[in-house]
Amino acid sequence: MKGRSALRDAAIAAIGLIIVLAIPFFHRSPAFEDFVIRLSAMALFATSLNLLVGNTGMVSFGHGMFYGLGAYAFGLTMQMTSLSLPVAAVLAVLLTTFAALCVGAVCVRLSTDYFAFITLAFQMLFFSVIISWQSLTGGDQGLRGGIPRREIFGFELASQLHLYQFCAVVAVLGLLALRHISASPFGQTLRMIRDNENRASFLGVVLWRARLWAFTIAGGFAGLGGVLAALFVSGAYPELADWPNSGQAIFAVMLGGIDTFLGPLLGAMILLALNDVVTRFTEYHGLVLGIVILVFALGLRRGVLDFLRLAWPGRSR
Amino acid sequence: MDLNALGACLTNPACVVTQTTSGLIVGMLLFLVAAGVTLIFGVLKIVNFAHGTFYMLGGYVAYTAFGVTDSYTLAVLSGALAMALFGALFERALISRVYGSNVLMQLLICYAVVLIFDDVVKIVWGPEFHAMGMPPAFQVPPLFIAGGVVPPFYAVLIGIAALIAIVLGLGLSMTRLGKTVRAAAINPQMVSALGINTTVLFAVVFAVGGGLAGLAGALAAPVRSLSPGMGFSILIESFIVTVIGGMGSIAGALVSALLIGMVRGFGTIGFPSFTDGLIYIVMIGILLLRPQGLFGRQT
Amino acid sequence: MRLEIKNLTKAFGGVRAIDDVSLDFASGSLSAVIGPNGAGKSTFFNLISGAFPADSGQVLLEGEDVGRLSRAERMHRGIGRAFQVASCFPTMTVAENLMAAVTAHAGRWGNLSHRFPPPGVRDRAEEVMSLAGLTHVADVEAAILSHGDQKLLDIAIALALEPKVLLLDEPTAGMGPDERWRMIDRVRGLWEQRKLTLIFIEHDMDIVFRVASTIRVLCYGRVLAEGVPDDIRNNQAVVDAYLGTEEHGA
Repeated sequence: MKGRSALRDAAIAAIGLIIVLAIPFFHRSPAFEDFVIRLSAMALFATSLNLLVGNTGMVSFGHGMFYGLGAYAFGLTMQMTSLSLPVAAVLAVLLTTFAALCVGAVCVRLSTDYFAFITLAFQMLFFSVIISWQSLTGGDQGLRGGIPRREIFGFELASQLHLYQFCAVVAVLGLLALRHISASPFGQTLRMIRDNENRASFLGVVLWRARLWAFTIAGGFAGLGGVLAALFVSGAYPELADWPNSGQAIFAVMLGGIDTFLGPLLGAMILLALNDVVTRFTEYHGLVLGIVILVFALGLRRGVLDFLRLAWPGRSR
Repeated sequence: MDLNALGACLTNPACVVTQTTSGLIVGMLLFLVAAGVTLIFGVLKIVNFAHGTFYMLGGYVAYTAFGVTDSYTLAVLSGALAMALFGALFERALISRVYGSNVLMQLLICYAVVLIFDDVVKIVWGPEFHAMGMPPAFQVPPLFIAGGVVPPFYAVLIGIAALIAIVLGLGLSMTRLGKTVRAAAINPQMVSALGINTTVLFAVVFAVGGGLAGLAGALAAPVRSLSPGMGFSILIESFIVTVIGGMGSIAGALVSALLIGMVRGFGTIGFPSFTDGLIYIVMIGILLLRPQGLFGRQT
Repeated sequence: MRLEIKNLTKAFGGVRAIDDVSLDFASGSLSAVIGPNGAGKSTFFNLISGAFPADSGQVLLEGEDVGRLSRAERMHRGIGRAFQVASCFPTMTVAENLMAAVTAHAGRWGNLSHRFPPPGVRDRAEEVMSLAGLTHVADVEAAILSHGDQKLLDIAIALALEPKVLLLDEPTAGMGPDERWRMIDRVRGLWEQRKLTLIFIEHDMDIVFRVASTIRVLCYGRVLAEGVPDDIRNNQAVVDAYLGTEEHGA
């Protein structure tokens, strides 16, 4: 998180994107493309969470609410209006960002423990609203009717290939934006707050304002992830906003590395792959996942990229 | 939202009695679970996300014990004791390794245990719902108070929970162990420096917390069905109760558990499909006015 | 900048930590504040820097009453402070610590349009780093710095905010004798270079008598004596309350 120039980040992103986009031209694999689409959504979700958790030291248990809100907002906008897909997506993200601003305004002034719980309460509140407002959201069945998959820029989103490309591009751009935020003076301020909020406040940083911005930005990007998730499932389901989803994001962040920008991406990759593999072999994937988590938490004790970074010092962070 | 029905109920003594009893049941069970959560947090500064699993396993153990011995008393005792043991083992084997770590690591360990035991329960007892049914001793006609229906089992449950609340309160304030626990909640290093074996103490705290949750699960078994994953909703509610009451305060847990119980009891009449949401709103409201909870200490 | 304290009072509960203290610090002066433990020295600094408001009295900076201003506002007016227990940002390097401080001071802590550090910040930070003698550890994480270097970093962060008045709370605390003199020499160097009004709390009497031009003695929240070192050394009340014999080390 330090020392890398904007140019270098953009180059890495471009190379990554080119590789991802090129793969289907050599070999089509529906499973792989599915995986990348799901990863795009999850990576945005987990990386945005790390802006709060890793960067600022704000442990939010309720981040899934913004992921779910993005999905539902997008799905409903597509269903109820004839707005084009990009407009609906932007609208959904804006709505989610605004919601994050409101929830954040309530939560950020609380101390750490209570902050965690109140964000959880908001998420569960949102979840129960989704479940009970059946006329709007379809209740626990999820948004029925699917998302009319329309064309944008000549892309036919009914085609998996186009969806794959769209999600990859959005995810890479989204991560690049988050990277820029994290590497900006504002990002440094968040780390100052995490390290020593007293001194940061002595330096003139307005703590609650910085935290509120962080919370709002993180919520917005989670909402973007939710939009991609909605495209993938062609709708929206309450599970997207339920606590186990927040838990998965937390695990992705911890598994990949809380101190490294790409840690959450790696963690999401590992987690999704693990889920896929395990569900193929046994119906008791909770058992297996739980054991893996224990081995990780007790054995490795830090995320993969953090572990590598400590084992090979001297590389720029 | 059905405010007419709510109004009608509040003016009808029978309805008030029935709903109050129902609210007390919910409240008392919540108290037993939340007391464990708040005790563990108060002394160990650990948020025990696996607490719902203790509740669930307590219920299942009681169910099996009842099936084998036909004695509800034994069933309840086995549920409580099994979970006390489980709590101590959980603390020794897993939690003790992450004291002082990032709270997310602690959360992950608890979450892992939840995942594992949700599936273990599925494997051992099967994924379908189980019902213990009302033990024969309680299959007697209900009591009628002011026209409201009060099943005797409910009365007994409330009584037992109230008794435990009193024992817990007295135990913490009067026994040596209780005072040590309270001291450790305020200053663990000092307690350790005084020669008190904190290792044993911490295991005991987890055992008591687990035992209380297991007891709650066992007491609830006749009137709630058992299913894997049943721990989660009681976990969330017990957290709400703990936070509203003030982390680390048993009295706070009691007051807020009863509050939430009553909100549920009467909320199901006035807000039938949104009762959960109502409770979250109550929590948010209280936290905004008094962030440390009703009885919590201001940090 | 001239710092005048007039009738400052602060009570906690029933105890007057600072009791009707009036002191005058001339612009560019180098003064020490000494006194037994519990005399109220740290509280005194807290009141000046704005950590909490006084019950009554005035804090005048170049004649302007800053008593109602927040910590951050006083910082912008020119009151800087370093702490008894070094307070830095542990996961960042020395250079990053200072660049962050300079960025915050410039009001650009919320900036999203550049990469960190914004233009011009690096130079300013390097200037402060060399002033504090920390250039050789520029890329070392603050958490693993030696104790002395951490204290220097703490002071450097305060310096990065371009103070006119600098309050140093026990700059040599926790150091061995040689290190103490190095530290106080560096502090004196900073004072000369930046023309600060420097006030430091200190327990090592050798240092105090050798370095300070004026000494103020606090005892039970009150000013017991003030003056040049010779006056203080010979002041009976001070000797009784605090110094004991003439030969004295902290």
